[in-house]
Amino acid sequence: MNLVAVGINHRTAPLEVREKLWMSSDEIRTAIAALKGKPFSECFIVSTCNRTELYGVYNSNGNSSDTPPDINVLKDQLIGFKSAGSAVKREHLYHMVSANAIRHLFKVASGIDSMVIGDIQILSQLKDDFNIAYEEKAAGPFLHRLLQSTYHVGKRTRTETTITEGAVSVSYAAVELANKIFSDLSKKTALLIGAGETGELTAKHLVGRGIGGIFVANRTKAKAEELVAALGGKAVDFESLQQMLAQVDIVVSSITSEHYVITKSDVQRAMKERSHKPLFIIDIGVPRNIDPGANNIDNVFVHDMDGISVIIDRNVQKRKAEIPRVNEIVLEELTEFLNWYNSLQVNPTIHDLRTHFEQVRLEEVEKNINRFSAEDRELLDLVTKRIVNKLLHLPTTNLKDGNEESEEEKHKKLHIVRSLFGLHKEQSPKK
Amino acid sequence: MKTVVDAFTIALPVLYFWTVWAYAKAFFKDSVFAKRVKTPLLLATLVIHLAYLLMRTVLFNHPPITTIFEIMSIISFSIAAAYAVIEFQTKVKNTGYFILILAFLFQTFSSCFIENLSEVKPILRSNLLGIHVSSALLGYAAIAISAVYGFLYLMLYHHIKSSRFGVIYTKLPNLETLEKMSMVSIVIGFSFLTIAISVGLIWLPRAFEHFSYFDPKLIGTVFIWAMYGVGLGAKKTIGWQGRKIMILSIIAFAISFFSLTIINVYFSAFHKFY
Repeated sequence: MNLVAVGINHRTAPLEVREKLWMSSDEIRTAIAALKGKPFSECFIVSTCNRTELYGVYNSNGNSSDTPPDINVLKDQLIGFKSAGSAVKREHLYHMVSANAIRHLFKVASGIDSMVIGDIQILSQLKDDFNIAYEEKAAGPFLHRLLQSTYHVGKRTRTETTITEGAVSVSYAAVELANKIFSDLSKKTALLIGAGETGELTAKHLVGRGIGGIFVANRTKAKAEELVAALGGKAVDFESLQQMLAQVDIVVSSITSEHYVITKSDVQRAMKERSHKPLFIIDIGVPRNIDPGANNIDNVFVHDMDGISVIIDRNVQKRKAEIPRVNEIVLEELTEFLNWYNSLQVNPTIHDLRTHFEQVRLEEVEKNINRFSAEDRELLDLVTKRIVNKLLHLPTTNLKDGNEESEEEKHKKLHIVRSLFGLHKEQSPKK
Repeated sequence: MKTVVDAFTIALPVLYFWTVWAYAKAFFKDSVFAKRVKTPLLLATLVIHLAYLLMRTVLFNHPPITTIFEIMSIISFSIAAAYAVIEFQTKVKNTGYFILILAFLFQTFSSCFIENLSEVKPILRSNLLGIHVSSALLGYAAIAISAVYGFLYLMLYHHIKSSRFGVIYTKLPNLETLEKMSMVSIVIGFSFLTIAISVGLIWLPRAFEHFSYFDPKLIGTVFIWAMYGVGLGAKKTIGWQGRKIMILSIIAFAISFFSLTIINVYFSAFHKFY
């Protein structure tokens, strides 16, 4: 199998290096155009913030030589596309060939190769980037089938395992926790204190889950208004915290402050005002923004980074436990793919073709054998055999003689023969 | 038919046991097998239980509401049936273990002590009694379920407060839903108890010579009823939320259980027929 893959990811290079190789859609387009024809007949590039990978099939057009492309040249080419030679070295890139490259691609699609395990946002990126290769006419039958299997791996991982379940980031875990206290977030409101990144992300997720309303309080109100413009909500005065505490149901605090921004007695007063409706406070500030003693008040739930990280750790462990199951799926799909690939080789096809004809001949002979006298029966067998052999002689030699034509042509021909005579089903008995 | 009834008397606790076991396996161990069999098992148990109650009615020529142990069997059935309805309505399929264990306990208690009586005292042949008993039973089943949801609420409440994110946290529905389920059950239970007490007060003086308003059971029941009334009132007026109401619901149920068993069996001067 003439498949080769070259790439960079979070395992081989730190962020500041791998981001140098990140490619936009247009850059991918240019790169593919440059690689197509020489050295590859089919190729595609996938690029996200955590990885950039190039997959190529060589020697499937008659023009190029039999030897695989020089890996180092390929690596230099990939670095060269981004003129990143000063930051990215060959050592930062890995390479893989044939089945190993396929297994790697499947693992990427399943999320077990992701930085955050089970993160399969890459799947949609794969689809987009593959479409570029398709538009550039760089995706032939091999890559088509490969990508189909890759999507299938992603889909099966999502439906047959729980590797994508459970929050594994602070912001998602906070929202998951809110969902264990309140049943309908659209009837609740939230207050974001401070404009830190994690706080902002949490607020975004709350908005994404349809929170009924969101307020932002920051020492510099301009910053709060900026955030509100992006989130859709209302900026409130930092001094009105106490008042807001009595109104909202969820508080997300991520401000830098020497002292507690909200004390226990603040919360106590607020609870009276809000007739003890449950209040959920997430404190992701360091040092802590909210007096942890507030957690002792009835119907008040205060959680800081420690509590949140307990949730995250547990979910990460759960996801890790699913890896063996995902590997099984990867292996199954790899076997399936290799079965398909092997079926496109000449000899198995000829064998299948002959078996098929022989079967038809035997069936017919058996059906009609009684119409012939005993002495003619042997002759019937002989004659029908001869007919079949004669019929198959030319197709067989034609298939065998195809050595001069390109791999792609050969595959097409074999594919047509197989589908014309319905030989596919016999080749891959699996689902 | 008597043999069948006797067989069912033994079979029912066993069936409830396996149902509870399946629900527990599904909740704590995530067992795929248990998840598949638990609901069918519950439905099968309910069908057999219903058949059992009907057969008793025919065989002994009176509905099984005349002794405490007959009544317990009906309570068990009511709880299990009410849970089945809740499961189908809310699609919350995780909480069965905590509720069905009550059904199991009531039925086991009933099966151990139930007697096959054909004779019924004439005072128990009253139309009012039917209303009195059935509404009381539905009321008790509802407050039992409410207490279970209250209990689950408190468990989840403390787990969240102390950052324990284990099975309880993962599997139970959210606090607000649990509170709502409990509250709905309380309102239903309170309404039925109101009917039961009103009808009882009309029927009792007529049926018993030694009727007394100071009978322990009567006082007990009215006390329970008043507790729920106060709780519901407090929720409306003072705005009691969450934990307090749930604790009240559990205490009230504990007292009801005490009243239904201990007081009824040992202290009641009248209002007992066996």
